[in-house]
Amino acid sequence: MSSKELSKTKKTAKPAQRDLALETMREASEQELTLMIRRQLALPMNKRTHFLRKRLPNGGSCL
Amino acid sequence: MAHFGISLTLFAEVRGEFRRKDGKTLARLTSRAGSGESRNMDAAPRLVEIADAFAAAHLEAILIGNAAAALHGAPVTTLDFDFLYRASAGNEIKLRRVADLLGGHITQPFPAVSTVFRILREDSQLQIDLTSQVHGVKSFNSLRSKAVRVEIEGRTILVASLPDIIRSKREANRPQDLAVLHVLQRTLEDQENGQAGTA
Repeated sequence: MSSKELSKTKKTAKPAQRDLALETMREASEQELTLMIRRQLALPMNKRTHFLRKRLPNGGSCL
Repeated sequence: MAHFGISLTLFAEVRGEFRRKDGKTLARLTSRAGSGESRNMDAAPRLVEIADAFAAAHLEAILIGNAAAALHGAPVTTLDFDFLYRASAGNEIKLRRVADLLGGHITQPFPAVSTVFRILREDSQLQIDLTSQVHGVKSFNSLRSKAVRVEIEGRTILVASLPDIIRSKREANRPQDLAVLHVLQRTLEDQENGQAGTA
């Protein structure tokens, strides 16, 4: 295999792995979102009240 | 139309290990908030105070926005409470009474929009935005007809339905609204699937 062909192989292999990693993370993120939603839905409406963020003196906010 | 300066974040609960099909680890993430337990401030005491003030002032208002979405089970957070009230001269007087009862001051944050009021009590970090118009909602009555009554410590809070909240955010079309649409839509789907599963 010539050096040109090798470099082509590398160029195509890297994005494939990157795409796979991104897709895997996207799926994991969706699964985590589903779990978060189901945890909330398992509670009665009047117990889903931990949603307020705290206002900080410098104008920002935090959880 | 009203534009509130609402900022928001999703609950930060990213964690875990991402593996390829052959078992090789691609990435490993951990998060301080990864326990699955929410550490955000409990809004219940504030909602009780607001409900008491509304009742004392005889003001009927419907909770909208991210606070309402969170009560419907969406994992979103907010700094303030947004309410829709019926536009009338009498209700504007009642809004001022609510501000007095809550120990806050009332302002009109958007001078061009005379129907938007903000009640702020800075020491205890209470902010309420009240509007008589909201994107995607025809009238107060149409929102109320589909609203849900939530009982918190013996007080009743009217909460806009999740489909109405989604429609409102979609039509508002602001970046902060579009950012949570996917989460709200997924929550609605899960609610509907859950109902279908129990039916």
